[in-house]
Amino acid sequence: MKKISIILMIILSVIFAGLTGCSSEEKTSSEQNSSDEVQAIKDRGVLKVGVKVDVPNFGYKNPETGEIEGFEVDIAKAIAKKILGDENKIELQAVTAKTRGPLLDSGEVDMVVATFTITEERKKSYNFSESYYTDAVGLLVKKDSGIKSFKDLDGKTIGVAQSATSKTALQEEADKLGITVEFAEFASYPEINAALTSGRVDCFSVDGSILSGYVSDSTEILPDKFAPQDYGIASKKDNTALAKIIDDTIKELKSNGELDKLKEKWGLQ
Amino acid sequence: MTGPFAWFKWEALFKDWAIFKDGFLTTLTVSILGLALALILGIFFGVLSVSKIKIFKFISRVYVEFIQNTPLVIQAIFLYNGLPLIANIVLPVKTIGVLAVGIYHGAYIAEVVRAGIMSINKGQLEAALSQGFNYWEAMRYIILPQARIVMLPPLTNQAVNLVKNTSVLAMIAGGDLMYRTDSWANEKLYYGPAYVLTGLLYLIICLPLATLAKRLEKVNFNNINRTEDEEMNIGCDKEATA
Repeated sequence: MKKISIILMIILSVIFAGLTGCSSEEKTSSEQNSSDEVQAIKDRGVLKVGVKVDVPNFGYKNPETGEIEGFEVDIAKAIAKKILGDENKIELQAVTAKTRGPLLDSGEVDMVVATFTITEERKKSYNFSESYYTDAVGLLVKKDSGIKSFKDLDGKTIGVAQSATSKTALQEEADKLGITVEFAEFASYPEINAALTSGRVDCFSVDGSILSGYVSDSTEILPDKFAPQDYGIASKKDNTALAKIIDDTIKELKSNGELDKLKEKWGLQ
Repeated sequence: MTGPFAWFKWEALFKDWAIFKDGFLTTLTVSILGLALALILGIFFGVLSVSKIKIFKFISRVYVEFIQNTPLVIQAIFLYNGLPLIANIVLPVKTIGVLAVGIYHGAYIAEVVRAGIMSINKGQLEAALSQGFNYWEAMRYIILPQARIVMLPPLTNQAVNLVKNTSVLAMIAGGDLMYRTDSWANEKLYYGPAYVLTGLLYLIICLPLATLAKRLEKVNFNNINRTEDEEMNIGCDKEATA
């Protein structure tokens, strides 16, 4: 028993050392003038951006060219132009729902433009810009399932993506209609699609723009749309100067009509 | 204060503790049932693999090699997505968890059992058979009890690994501890405290298991020391200090 308690002590002390280590780092970085961090990006000469690589039209690695392209990549370029004066001075890094938070915290990326829905809870951890795109949650079902509306999903299982806000939105909607639905969460979109094909889930539900990439001959998107979700650009909480530049750029893109042009370019809305 | 381990994230974690409790109980249930299945399969196929009858040996080899040389993740996904498509069999996801880790570790345990049996002098089996035991009785009453001391340490490894491998359920929406943690951590992005707590919860299952096995090892060792003759005694001491 002595040995166990010694081992536990070691483990706990490592964790607490980690905790205090983190907090002291935060202090020093927030004490610094946060415009220093913008200066650091300028000195580095490149803006590091986390984007999706599996969402067509938003952030997608084109298998033919090997380039990552999409609406969100273009927005990232606009911000790079604002900070560094050259839209090509960006370094794109593939992120998933699971990695985008930790990558921001560790400083591996300066900002994340990756179909990132703004929520109150997330705002506590990161700075979010104002919304650059609003998308509603859609429902994809098999044609032969006989499901024609959200109501028909009573007692069924809905496949959703981890870290997506669609689960909360659908639950609220289900409560309103007085039906019960169950959820199964998966780490990636192809996994949900596989579960739909094998009949593990009766419905595949993510943001509509993402969903449209997964429609096949045997599946269809229901007309129901729920809970518009606002996408924002996330950056590190204590780097307020960068957050302001990002936010200003989005406002500018909105007011001069560039954002609408980009949406058109990628066939959104 | 911000950062991955900010205090408000811990507070949110404690408020939602029931989610982690549910996951913990699922992991515990799947682990216990999976371990029972793994032991049954392991002993059965382990004994088959030392049989003199070729076909039994062959069956056991196929099982062990096939399972040991394919990833657990693929086996689980096959049970989850493959079976409904191929055979129209839709197993409940927790059953899949028990089957997946049970069959997977059963193959490893079969090898442990085979090694254990082979460490016992052939004369023991011959003597048992000549006394009128049948093959399975001889195994049950004569060979396996002696092989236990050799098998226990690697068996503990397998049991602990089995508990950790139940986290494969996280990939197929199994509702286990890892799944709940992924879900909670990614929804709120409060991943820091979530994964620390989950690591500790796995430790809470695995550490006592390892300790219990260590204790059993000691008891066995003492028993043998008391009952075996002087020669055996020296042999064991050497092994223990080596």
